[in-house]
Amino acid sequence: MSTPGADDATAVTGEVPDREPSRLGRLSARYGRSLVTALLLVTILFLIGPVLVTFIASFFENWTGILPSGGLTLRNWAQALGVAETVGASRGLGGFWTFVAPDVLFVLDLPLLPELTLFFPFDFYVQTPIPMALGFSVLLALLGVFINLLVGVPIAYAVTRYDFTGRRLMNTFAVLPIVPGIILGIAFLKTYPDLPSVIALVLGYSLLKIPYMVLAVQSSFESMDLRQMEESARSLGASWTTTFLRVIVPGAKQGIISGSIICWTLAAAEFNFSYVVYSSGPRPFSLFLFENISNNPFLRAAAAISIYFIIVAVVTALLNRLGENGFSVGGVR
Amino acid sequence: MAERVTLNDITKRFDETLAVDDISLRVEPGETVGLVGPSGCGKTTTLRTVAGFETPSEGEVLFDDEVVTNVPPEQRNVGLVFQSYALFDNMTVQENVEFGLRMRDVPKAERADRATEMLELLDIGGMGDRDPTTLSGGQQQRVGLARALAIEPRVLLLDEPMTGLDAKLKTRLQEEIGSLLEEIDVTSMYVTHDQAEAMVMCDRIAVMNDGRVEQVGTPAEIYERPANSFVADFVGTSNRLTATVENGTLDLGHAAVEAPTGAPEGDVTVVARPEAFTLNGGPVEATIEERFYLGEHVRATARTPDDRELTLRFDPERAPESREVTLSLDTDRVHLLRDP
Repeated sequence: MSTPGADDATAVTGEVPDREPSRLGRLSARYGRSLVTALLLVTILFLIGPVLVTFIASFFENWTGILPSGGLTLRNWAQALGVAETVGASRGLGGFWTFVAPDVLFVLDLPLLPELTLFFPFDFYVQTPIPMALGFSVLLALLGVFINLLVGVPIAYAVTRYDFTGRRLMNTFAVLPIVPGIILGIAFLKTYPDLPSVIALVLGYSLLKIPYMVLAVQSSFESMDLRQMEESARSLGASWTTTFLRVIVPGAKQGIISGSIICWTLAAAEFNFSYVVYSSGPRPFSLFLFENISNNPFLRAAAAISIYFIIVAVVTALLNRLGENGFSVGGVR
Repeated sequence: MAERVTLNDITKRFDETLAVDDISLRVEPGETVGLVGPSGCGKTTTLRTVAGFETPSEGEVLFDDEVVTNVPPEQRNVGLVFQSYALFDNMTVQENVEFGLRMRDVPKAERADRATEMLELLDIGGMGDRDPTTLSGGQQQRVGLARALAIEPRVLLLDEPMTGLDAKLKTRLQEEIGSLLEEIDVTSMYVTHDQAEAMVMCDRIAVMNDGRVEQVGTPAEIYERPANSFVADFVGTSNRLTATVENGTLDLGHAAVEAPTGAPEGDVTVVARPEAFTLNGGPVEATIEERFYLGEHVRATARTPDDRELTLRFDPERAPESREVTLSLDTDRVHLLRDP
């Protein structure tokens, strides 16, 4: 048996060598912070720059070089909003669009009876004021978000809360629709060739964007102890439905709001799917942009993009307000 | 009025695994019974069976004389307190406490009064308007308890309620809530893996292992007279030494001491707490291998000549300098087990 404390003694008398700080360590200590700041600034500049220039250019008469030129004008905005005459076809954001209902409503094909066809008694033209036409795109995306919520929140909940067979599969499936819009569009055209554009667009948007909703809400659910919360509520006398609607869903409001913002923004600007599927009725916003970019008066598109950004900012701000009112603000804790 | 909780031959199987194996337990009105044991011993499953979140595969749960085995949790009127507090973050503290009353359609004014009363009882009066996330862990757990008590539960169930708290706060809260449970007339069951906590909080303790209850008794009973070596080992620190009793002598192998009165003859396991050994002069020889200074006392691990490990405890001022020590064993403070 060795004598006690012998090891300790050597350990105490032994000299502790100076730590040699590596060069990299010194460099990062000295310049790290400013480097990150610079990188951030450059990135922001590159991201914000084009948007800012676009916004400014939308008030100018010409934009041929890098910077806009000519006098200041509101004409582009007026045209984008459809309140000013445009050259050629109504290329304003919707303009005075005309909605023509299909004259054949449906065909009943019963084996014994003669074919029964129901016609619309008249052609159905509606003239919509411009703000409504602009609102159409907003509304389409909003309907998509609504479906996203109805489907996405329960999926996120089930995947987080329960361990069931096929959980992994469901998790993957929920993320699977991150397929390009163009592919889903073609699939839609092939599968539902007669679907009205409005319905096809809403369905497509919700299908395309659901992964973002599921992921955002799921991260909220994962920060909660779902089982214990649920059991607390139920032991206090709440039914399962009451628990879900009054405790679980409000608890995930942060994720629900950010998911909604992401889904709405992406749906409102979804081009590929809209381009493939759209056939009649009011034009989605992204298609309007596309027509105006490919045709010459690009400044009108600039104005329209500015309008889009303003809408996004307003919607985001509204949803955030909604999140703060009556709810606690999560996140930092 | 507090009610008696009775578990009759509860067995719970999950597919092939047996989580709870034929448990019978009675919690008297107003009593606090602790369920302690290592993780996976079935204590939480037992608690969830009482709450109604698990239906036992066999057996029944009674509140007083009423069989509640198949009553859904929302109709069972039990109060639940969790480790994660499980407060509803979208509601204020006051709304949290009122939740159960709202579910019972208690009028608004009455609800508010009751919530205020509960918050004051738990020493967090005036925090009603706060957002639960802004409270400290200890305060959140008080809200959790206030919420569970507001509905005047038939039985209060606490599932590791102190586990997330730091040591100092834990001690204070244990004392406070312990005396609160004593004071108010509610039957409680307290699940914890920490036997020391159970000893502070509970009137009686059920030590569980592998789905079964090994022993039920007061803290003193299970500490001083453990029913078997599992309990002896789980509750507190203990030295377990195989020995033989012959003609009033307890033969520890390398040393012999006088056997406690009434000791059965034959092979036994001696359960000796560290404090049963006193330093110097005795027949037990040991070599100290490691010592840990813990402020209030010095803990040491030692080895006897016949290679048995001992855990010893010394007063810091009287801790031995040398490695070789001689100890006496206070046989009135040991417990003999006739383990198989």
